[in-house]
Amino acid sequence: MKKMMTDYELIEKFVKGEQSCFETLIHRHKNKVYAYISLYIRDQALVEDLFQDTFLKVIQSVKSGKYYDNGKFISWVMRIAHNLIIDHFRRIKQLNTVSNDDYESDLFNSRKLAEENIEDHLIKRQIQKDIRMLISQLPDDQREVVILRHYSGLSFKEIADITEVSINTALGRMRYALINMRKMMEEKKITLTFN
Amino acid sequence: MNKPMGLNSTPYLSYQEILVDDIDIYDDAWGFYPEFNDVIDLLKQVKPVAGRRLTNRLIKRIRQNN
Repeated sequence: MKKMMTDYELIEKFVKGEQSCFETLIHRHKNKVYAYISLYIRDQALVEDLFQDTFLKVIQSVKSGKYYDNGKFISWVMRIAHNLIIDHFRRIKQLNTVSNDDYESDLFNSRKLAEENIEDHLIKRQIQKDIRMLISQLPDDQREVVILRHYSGLSFKEIADITEVSINTALGRMRYALINMRKMMEEKKITLTFN
Repeated sequence: MNKPMGLNSTPYLSYQEILVDDIDIYDDAWGFYPEFNDVIDLLKQVKPVAGRRLTNRLIKRIRQNN
């Protein structure tokens, strides 16, 4: 069986000129990055821009020798995505523009709804809206752990690296987040009514 | 003859046979799923994915830039 190349092996080959190796990295990690950005930003066009900017910045940094392998490639990529999101919010604050929180769009590219009936579709949309609301009402540090764990699929060790806290702190934040979300679910009577 | 307890009833399972793919040991140790399965199942109802169109657009940009 052919052994899967590590992230660093792919980066090394990419730097030496094998373009396809970076494309393999994109396919390997794209959903983690996309999920992270899309749960912070509501504007779909902006999500797509930041998603692309993240990978372009990764290439720029890799080519200028700013990445040293320590087995934490995805943590590093997520930190780049995180910084781009922060930059975006800083710009908005400086420009004093209206928040785009009211922008309504289907940010969750869930499975195609073509074959589902309208009622199922509406219920699903409502659940997605409820989940987004639950996540958005969490304190920042708890929200970040939930997104990184449940939507970007990172381990607690990786989350601890990215957020620069101990594993125990990351675990504690997750516990509080889950307690808070359950409380909100009870208050707002949100239940899982669709499978 | 009495046999020591466990020796004839517990199938041997080597460490390599224990399936740990996709399991985060800390998550498992803290028992989040058993305690909060209602919340976690709700979170699982959405799965943001980068669509093929977006991925292709990114790859095209990278090819053009390199």
